[in-house]
Amino acid sequence: MFTVRRKWTQHGLQIVLVSLVLLIAWLIRQTQGGAIRELYALLSRPFQSESALLKEQQLTDRRVWELEQRLKDVEQQNKQLKILVKYFEAQKKPVVTAPVIGRSADEWWQQIILGRGSQDGIAVGAAVTGIGGLVGRVVDTTPNTSRVLLVSNPSSRVGASVSRSRSMGRIQGQGSQVAMMQFFEKVPDVKPGDVITTSSVSRLFPSGIPIGRVQKVMLEKNPAPEAKIEFTAAIDKLEWVIVHPIENPQ
Amino acid sequence: MIARFSPRQRQLLNGLLIASSVVLCLLLSPTRLPGMELLGVGPNWFLIWVVTWSLKHKVLSSVIAGLTLGLLQDSMSSSYPSHVVVLVIVGFITARLQRHIKEDLITIVLLVFILSLIAEATIALQYALMELRPIDEIWLDYQRIALSSAVLTSLWTPAFYYPLHSWWEKLQQ
Repeated sequence: MFTVRRKWTQHGLQIVLVSLVLLIAWLIRQTQGGAIRELYALLSRPFQSESALLKEQQLTDRRVWELEQRLKDVEQQNKQLKILVKYFEAQKKPVVTAPVIGRSADEWWQQIILGRGSQDGIAVGAAVTGIGGLVGRVVDTTPNTSRVLLVSNPSSRVGASVSRSRSMGRIQGQGSQVAMMQFFEKVPDVKPGDVITTSSVSRLFPSGIPIGRVQKVMLEKNPAPEAKIEFTAAIDKLEWVIVHPIENPQ
Repeated sequence: MIARFSPRQRQLLNGLLIASSVVLCLLLSPTRLPGMELLGVGPNWFLIWVVTWSLKHKVLSSVIAGLTLGLLQDSMSSSYPSHVVVLVIVGFITARLQRHIKEDLITIVLLVFILSLIAEATIALQYALMELRPIDEIWLDYQRIALSSAVLTSLWTPAFYYPLHSWWEKLQQ
């Protein structure tokens, strides 16, 4: 008992301080670093350039391409919808444009931090697109920032379909500009160059957003045929993105 | 200049400096300023901080520093695979090596280079053990990330090492 008391008088302050520090660190972790991101957004605001840095030509090209593909997809869908007479258009909500202010603190984890948050109407689960196509999904928000898990992250999976033939599958990120798509059918109708869009049965993303182009088809893969997909949005060069609010919140 | 302050004030100033350097570390980690990026990979600021700390402190306090910074890095990226294990290992190794290291910059840079290879390997190992991704994919990613991260981290080491190290030297006198 005596030694414990002596230890306490000697190191008491230190022990209290260390446990305080650990407690704070743990709290920050549990809140997903929300306070830090807010501070970061505040400090980085003066350094954000208003679209001056956009590599215009490249981005407009991608934008045009994206719209062309969207149109193709919509035409394809329209054909099907004409067959199915029961059709109603979901009301479109306004989108939010947001600057990309940060990336992940670790290269194994593919995420971006946006400079707009819940104050601007962004909610967890909203789909995020860049110029060219799908980028990711909002996983966490604070009043002025939100954190987006990129489609290229190995843990993100997106229901997708081939725009031309409607063959369905699932895209899994691989930490780079290229991802792997696994098909649900044994013999999918797909060839290199085909455009992949988000699937109409996907609950997480609005349907018809372009994701990428097929690079290589591997029909012999087990247990399901696979294809290499190249993302059309320049995921490693994002500067501005568009956040689409969720249409049917759970 | 430091001699003018009372021990109490010095301690307070030290704490303030440590806290602000950690905050700086937190704020630097999501930024990619020009010259801070190689193949899309940025330097691992948390690792630099833990190494700098561990070169001047005992094993226990280095491990605690690794634990704290690990929790903070988790908050800025993902909680699984966790960075706590990584930085605790880094802190422990550095504190144990402390006595055998000549404290010149080249040695420290080399040490950080090797430690960041070990750190990325620990993360890769966690991915492999949890079977989150196929092994060949992890291996490819490891090669890409580990090398650029090690080069960048070691080159940016002086940014934290110089000011903190010289401050602690002065404080000891």
